[in-house]
Amino acid sequence: MTKFVIRRFIGLFPTLFVIITLSFFIVRAAPGGPFDREKRLPPEIMRNIEKKYNLDEPLLMQYGRYILDILRGDLGPSFSYPDHDVNYFIFNSLPKSLILGSIALGIAVIVGVGVGMISSVRQNTWVDYTAMSFAVMGITIPLFVVGPVLMYFLALRLNWLPTSGWVTGQHGWVTIIMPVVTLSLPYFAYNARLSRASILEVLRSDYVRTARAKGLREIVIMFKHVLKGALLPVVSYLGPAFAGIITGSVVVERIFRIPGLGQFFVQAAFNRDYTLLMGTVIVYSVILIIMNFIVDIVYGFLDPRISYS
Amino acid sequence: MDAATIEKSKEKNDIYVSELNQPIKGVSLWKDAWRRLKKNKMAMFGLVVVIVYAILSITAPILPIYSYKYQVLEHQYLPPSLNKNAGQLLLEREEMLLLAMANKMGRSELNQQERDKLVRLKEQVAMETREIDGEVVKVHERRYILGTDSLGRDLLARIIYGGQVSIAIGIIGTITSVFIGIVIGALAGYLGGRIDYIITRIIDVMYGMPYMMLVIILMALFGRNILNLFFALAIVSWLTVARVVRGQIISLKNSEFVEAARSIGASTGRIVFRHLVPNTLGVIVVFSTLRIPSFIMLESFLSFLGLGVQAPFASWGSLVSDGVEGMNLYPWRLFFPAIAMVVFLFAMNFLGDGLRDALDPQSKNKL
Repeated sequence: MTKFVIRRFIGLFPTLFVIITLSFFIVRAAPGGPFDREKRLPPEIMRNIEKKYNLDEPLLMQYGRYILDILRGDLGPSFSYPDHDVNYFIFNSLPKSLILGSIALGIAVIVGVGVGMISSVRQNTWVDYTAMSFAVMGITIPLFVVGPVLMYFLALRLNWLPTSGWVTGQHGWVTIIMPVVTLSLPYFAYNARLSRASILEVLRSDYVRTARAKGLREIVIMFKHVLKGALLPVVSYLGPAFAGIITGSVVVERIFRIPGLGQFFVQAAFNRDYTLLMGTVIVYSVILIIMNFIVDIVYGFLDPRISYS
Repeated sequence: MDAATIEKSKEKNDIYVSELNQPIKGVSLWKDAWRRLKKNKMAMFGLVVVIVYAILSITAPILPIYSYKYQVLEHQYLPPSLNKNAGQLLLEREEMLLLAMANKMGRSELNQQERDKLVRLKEQVAMETREIDGEVVKVHERRYILGTDSLGRDLLARIIYGGQVSIAIGIIGTITSVFIGIVIGALAGYLGGRIDYIITRIIDVMYGMPYMMLVIILMALFGRNILNLFFALAIVSWLTVARVVRGQIISLKNSEFVEAARSIGASTGRIVFRHLVPNTLGVIVVFSTLRIPSFIMLESFLSFLGLGVQAPFASWGSLVSDGVEGMNLYPWRLFFPAIAMVVFLFAMNFLGDGLRDALDPQSKNKL
């Protein structure tokens, strides 16, 4: 087991390396540079700027320098905000995105599995039908429609919630309700459908029949026997869900004006701010890779059929 | 039992026997699927909606709607209205505005000067003509069923033309990604060995990447035109098809009919693309139907960030994105495109689910 974990962990680095390399060269291959303005800068000034950021060196040397910097934990200076370096922006914006994303994911999993459980126990009743139609809606309606519509009704028409802001602002934690609901809705819906289907399948299995025959109470059967097996698809869906929540947070941060990592990512892409763009991509990739790694290991714990050899 | 009844039952028997004597008609996979699909009400509803959308998109140029890019700047933000034309709406708005200003100043009625202004506006509305597409028309007699946008363009036309773009992107994107996926997946699955290893490794690494980020980077850096959009979406979305096709082909490649084809000397390409790929077609059709809405969502997602379709063209995503600005005052700009888009997405999903159940009855209840 330990050996498996270590081997998987070491396997993360090539993936990360590929991502860094690929994005570095894609970003550099693009036409236009970070210092292109409507009015062209005089060539001497351009040369000086390029010299300052080592942009005059051959590309491979810049790449080598960049990798060395990353190994030292330095993501470089930002091109479009000259007073700050990339680490500063990430340090400030990442916590917001992490809070948003982790609450959304937690709700998506816990509430999703809960609803799936209730639906499967009350299969083909109105509870089941309501929950499942809601789930279909959650999967189908894109979150950039859900977000503005929620905002229109809850904030602008009913005045129940503030339209935007962040937890440290004057409105406090209520500001996070709409972003979290918007972001978690599709994954909540998917988890509900997934867990309903798999619980229904497990409920028909032989070992559950055995447990019933032993005279165990339904609630014990559900939580001790059914849930563990039925959670497997939910756990394996966590990987794609992480990726989805990361991308979704880019849009949600924009709708609700949250100064998180996603905002900087999009801004950097527009500004061709190479270093900030690379920095955000690397942070996102690291989060995604680590999450996938954890999912793999949790999956192994839950499913004894998987062998680690 | 009298003779007549016996005779009758004999006749009945004859009918049954003659029915049994008919040669058995083979039911092909597709016919069988179509029969099952017809029984699925939601899927049929989806199919009808999709067909209606398709007809609207294809016939858009000959439909009696306005141009999606013609601007009447005076007609900014006109609310949706079924029975009033633009001129009446303009007059109403002006009157409301003047009244509100008069109220602010403590008068309950308009003064002479303001009434003159209204009369002048009325004349202008009644008389003014403009040349649109070589035709001189009374511009203020235009009717905007779904209202107008920030530049005085007809929202209905923009939604229909936006739908055209969105659906086209969904279909073309799906076809491209499915094509790449089939070729790569089929080769990996059939050839096996080292090639298979390399391809699966590449797919694994790409799966681990936040690939929407890659698309955003590509769109932001390489220019925002539709061609780049297709390219960016296609290169990140063939992965799943490739995986599915590879799995299918591995499970099929040792079957007897492939053996038979090989024994009569069929080439690899022929075996893969004549014998193996057609057998995975059911899965691919289902996958493609479910893929179209997700492509539409991806494109809208990019448009929402300002990276998708650029003005004067529209897509549902860019329309929703435009509608978010000022949705407090002009909510129709948000809601109509959003409804148009969501209805289509629902229909596509119902149809896809129905097709999956129809083509593969065992998959019922699966996600």
